[in-house]
This record gives sequence, structure tokens and C-alpha cells, in this order.
Amino acid sequence: MFDNNVFIDGSFKNDVHCESLHGFQLETYITYYRGIPLSMVHDVRIAVDGEDVPRDKIRFTVDHIDWFTLTELETVTTFKWEYGDKATVFIDWPGGLSKGAHAVSLTTAIRVAYIPVPFEGSKTRDVIVK
Amino acid sequence: MSTIKRSVSMYSLQDEYLHGRMTLPDIIKFLDEMGTEGIELISDQMLHNAPHVSDADIAAWDALMQQHKVRPICNDIFINTCLYKNRTLTTRESTALLIDELKLANRLGFHLVRLVSMTPPEIIEPALPYAEKYDVTMALEIHAGMSFSHPMTQAFVEVMRKLNSPYVGIVVDTGIFCRRHPRVSTNYFKTLGANQELINYIDAIFASGIDVKQFLREHNGKRPDEWQKLIKNEADEIYSIFADGYENSKLSILDEYMPFIKHFHGKIYEMTEAGEEYSIPYAEIVQYLSKKGYDGFISTEYEGNRFTLPGKPMMEKEQVRLHQICLKKCIESVQ
Repeated sequence: MFDNNVFIDGSFKNDVHCESLHGFQLETYITYYRGIPLSMVHDVRIAVDGEDVPRDKIRFTVDHIDWFTLTELETVTTFKWEYGDKATVFIDWPGGLSKGAHAVSLTTAIRVAYIPVPFEGSKTRDVIVK
Repeated sequence: MSTIKRSVSMYSLQDEYLHGRMTLPDIIKFLDEMGTEGIELISDQMLHNAPHVSDADIAAWDALMQQHKVRPICNDIFINTCLYKNRTLTTRESTALLIDELKLANRLGFHLVRLVSMTPPEIIEPALPYAEKYDVTMALEIHAGMSFSHPMTQAFVEVMRKLNSPYVGIVVDTGIFCRRHPRVSTNYFKTLGANQELINYIDAIFASGIDVKQFLREHNGKRPDEWQKLIKNEADEIYSIFADGYENSKLSILDEYMPFIKHFHGKIYEMTEAGEEYSIPYAEIVQYLSKKGYDGFISTEYEGNRFTLPGKPMMEKEQVRLHQICLKKCIESVQ
């Protein structure tokens, strides 16, 4: 129901660095209607051509200053992911995605105090690497 | 004419704001143009680092309020009891968060905060001295799916009756008065694969004058076999669960709560071409409330944005405008 917020069109970027890592990245809005502390980001999942990317290959930032693994993210209560702000999801993929067309899927889930299941949104986009 | 007043909740324009088609000043201008008297804010949505908003952002809010007619009516707040993945916040931690929200509401000029459903009732009493100090009333949302019969809501109502303070009350969401299952929700789940037979089955429950919760209660809390047989895929299951999120209560359910009602969310899923809400009878609601002497606000809360089909344009502004016109008409036609 928040699919409209996930994986911003045109935000895929290949061949990028995150600290010492190399891979690709994409941007997303929050799957909610308000901002929350980063610790409430329940899960971020990426799949490439139908194959899930291991959780430890994912990095997350809302400011391009502090990058967090998903396990680290669970402890971040000082910073918020604001509604309307784009978060960047980086995927450790040495060499970047190979040339050609790929189906890249992003799922974001937010923990919500008043509903027992997290608010989720998913979007798959076809990206072309030249 | 009734003395009920109109406001708009910022839930209604979330997609416009998210994608940058409307800024907060744009929205406030839009409300002024519609003759809307109040704004219901979601501070976590539009004010950075809420509830610890910077002085500069508070000054910008003050300036907006000074430049426009629309008045701050209610701030929708949330207690992040699920801040950590491995535990729930304690009562003292949650109370501290609530106190921060009361301070922010006061600084922004709000005298009412809406506590979301399931807010722990045990934090109300310890926060009450702060509500009095900051002159901000705390009111729990009574929302379909989690309304008066829900144990957490009942626990809050018990605290509310015990404290019997003007600073503790409720906000009623009119989604508890759905005379039909919202059609936009039906169509959304249809595209996901929900089957027509199941849709007809649920529609028939509403047509019989009750809702899914009441129906299940009549069947010992379980879906009867005839319903279960209609569930053929995942979308059918999700549709069945979501159908319980709309209630079909009689207006008289509010009789005993009238002294505690601080505010209304005028829920809309779909305004029809006739200018009416597809599921919720606003003329009747406004008539009833006027008779009961209610003279507070009804905030348009458009939730049809959730059910906009892929590739279809968002109709948030248009739907809000239609509902404001509908409310105005209802208010003016009360004898």
C-alpha cells in the first residue's frame, strides 16, 4: 500500500562507492506517512533478477554522511528518516551490476506501534546498465 | 446552521507533500482558499526532527499561522513504543516522549493532540500535570478496527472516566460509520486478485446493517465455512483482514461519550460525483452532532490515497475539496 513511495524512478546508479565498498545504489522514500527514528526501519530487502541480496551487503543512509549496515541501523535513535527525504540504499556488489538489463527490487518495512505487522512497500524496476 | 467547524488533516495530502507537488505553505494557502478554518498537523510528517523542532522551524510555522486565516486545531502524535526491535519502551520512557509532544504542541499553538490508537493508557495519568501546564488536551483516536470494543481502547476509556479531566478525551474517526465497504478499497484488492464472490459476501454483511467485527462476534469469533471457502488466494485473505478495518456502527454509539469528544476525523475514502462520501453518511452525522451540541471541528482525512491504482493520478486535492464542500453544505443545512 506504500508501493508508490518505494524505489524512486530514475534513482538507480551503478558503479558507485560507499566508503571502501563498490557497487550500486538506489533511492527511496519512507513507507509511512511520517518520519521516524532510523531504529524503526524494520527491514530493507534487495533482489537482483529475482535473487535476494544477502542482508550484510546492504548499507543505508539518509544524509550521505553516516552509512549504516542494517544491524547497525536498529540501534540508531539519534537520527530520523524524515517524511519527504530520500534515503539511499547501497549494495556491495564489486565491479557493479553487469552490462545489460536487470530487474532490481526494493522492499522497505517500517515498524509501527499501533499495527502488529510492519508497513511495507515494494517496487521492482527494470534497469539498463550500459 | 450548525456551529460545527471544518479542518483538514495533513494525512489527506501526504502524496502531494511527499513528491514535492505541495509545500506546507502551499497547503495552508489551499486551506484558506477553501474557507477551511483549521489545520490538523502531523508534526512527525512535516517538521524536521519533531518533537525536537528547531527554533527557526518553529518561527517559520508561527509566521505561516500569522499570515493565514487557518488556525492550528489538532496535532497528530505517536508514541514510538517500538523504537527498539528487541523490546517495548517502559511506561516511564513512553511518558517522557508524550511530555515532549505536549511541549511541542504548546509551542506550535495547538491545544489538542491526537494520540494514535493503541497508545498505552498507563502514560496518561503521569502526563496529566504536563497537559495542564502546557494547556494541551490528550485525546485518543477511536478508529475503525480498533474502536470502542477493543481492549486497549476500553482501558483508555476507563482511565479517561477515572481522571474525568478536560485534558483527557477522545477523537472519533468517522470510519466507524461505514454503511458500505469502501469501493476504492474493494477495487484496489480486486486488482491484486481478490475474487468477486468474496467481495459480494462482504458487501452483503454491510448491507445487512452490521460490519465484519459484529458478524464474526455472531459466529463465535470465527469466519464461517461459507466465507472460508471463498478465500482462494492471498489477496482474498488480505481483503478479508482489511474488511475488518471498517465499522458500521449506529451514531447512537457516541451518546455516552459526547462529553469526552474533543474532535472528529471526517474520514473519506471516495467522494462521489454527487458530492457525497461513498460509505459514510455525513449529512446524518452532522445532524446528529449538532443535536448533541457538538461545536468542535471535523477534519477531512482522505484515505483513498492508499487505494489509488498503479498508473492512476492521485486525487488528494480534489477529494479534499469535495469533502470540504460536502461538510459546508451539511453544516449550513442543519435546522
